[in-house]
Amino acid sequence: MSGDLGDLGRFAEPSLLILVSLSDKPRHGYAIMTDVEELSGTPLGPGTLYAALARLEARGLIEALLADDRRRPYRITAAGVQALRTQLVGIESVVRAGLTRLDGPADV
Amino acid sequence: MRRLALAILSLYPTAWRERYRGEVEDLLRLRRLRPSDVADLLRGALDAQLHPQPRPVLQLAVPASGPVPVSAMVTKPAFGMVESASLSLSSRRSFLRRMLGAGVGLLSLEFLGGTVAFLWPGPGEGMGVEYSVGTLAEINGSFPNWALGEPMDFRPARAFLVNVPAATAMAMGEAGEVTDPTADQILALWRKCPHLGCMIPPACESRSRFQCYCHQSTYNILGEKLELGPASRGMDRFPVRIDDDGVVIIDTRELIKGPPKNVVTFRDPHPQGEGCA
Repeated sequence: MSGDLGDLGRFAEPSLLILVSLSDKPRHGYAIMTDVEELSGTPLGPGTLYAALARLEARGLIEALLADDRRRPYRITAAGVQALRTQLVGIESVVRAGLTRLDGPADV
Repeated sequence: MRRLALAILSLYPTAWRERYRGEVEDLLRLRRLRPSDVADLLRGALDAQLHPQPRPVLQLAVPASGPVPVSAMVTKPAFGMVESASLSLSSRRSFLRRMLGAGVGLLSLEFLGGTVAFLWPGPGEGMGVEYSVGTLAEINGSFPNWALGEPMDFRPARAFLVNVPAATAMAMGEAGEVTDPTADQILALWRKCPHLGCMIPPACESRSRFQCYCHQSTYNILGEKLELGPASRGMDRFPVRIDDDGVVIIDTRELIKGPPKNVVTFRDPHPQGEGCA
């Protein structure tokens, strides 16, 4: 089971956002969509959403719960939590390095 | 928009639809759809056809919320080995379906490609190349009557090369020799009659007019349509230029439509309503 989102190609970024969206509680598709759009500020299409969901599910990073009516909630798994944490820590170090260099002494 | 989006769901593979169709339909009903969503669904369908994801076993009950312990994860089947037995039962059908879809897709692609290639703007209606006729000296040398006004039949471009000052003088019955017309004093009249495409014969000597042998469409020496005959416009023509080496060039990549019927810049002394005598 891969804990790396890098092999998801163009679905890596939506996948990360979906995992973030699921990190506090299970959500169904539409809720994930609106949450991700709120988080990132960019629209997430239904095709991309479900392509990413299928990949995350196949990798065991999320799992589907019993459908409540037709709305099936998804929940992040332990492996998903671990993958998300790894990914976020990786991003954080890049963010920190970038901000440090931006704010650092401008040596010519 | 919504109907279109729902229709696109049928492009997804069967396995995908069995698993996700219900919830995606629900989502499409909740969302205010944009054209980009439709495009996204299409891309998703292509992705699902090309990269089908193995289907994990569905949870049958709602477990207590919160992340499951890692130990629970281990019992899950490994990636790529999911439900191999039940998948193989339906895989022949889905394979056939996919091949059918691919065949139809390929066919429509070919059709589309053919259509686009057919409609793609080609090199115009002309014959698509530039023809070097020769320098003015060469033209005068090989066809001395050109300087006296007789149009030269330049076969490769299927055009009459008209030396305008000389030709109009000749049509007026005046004697005059012009050996060095400028590029804008040279016409390359396409010999294809704008009526039905007959090959227009050389200008008649009696009146210095062109007359199509098919339906008697008559043109003056500059290829302008006179009263007689069914053609609705003058003879079509190609741009002419003289390059730095003094070579007269006919550019058949661009066809200039002849002026409308009865719009003439030149009148010879003969009755305008008649053809060649």
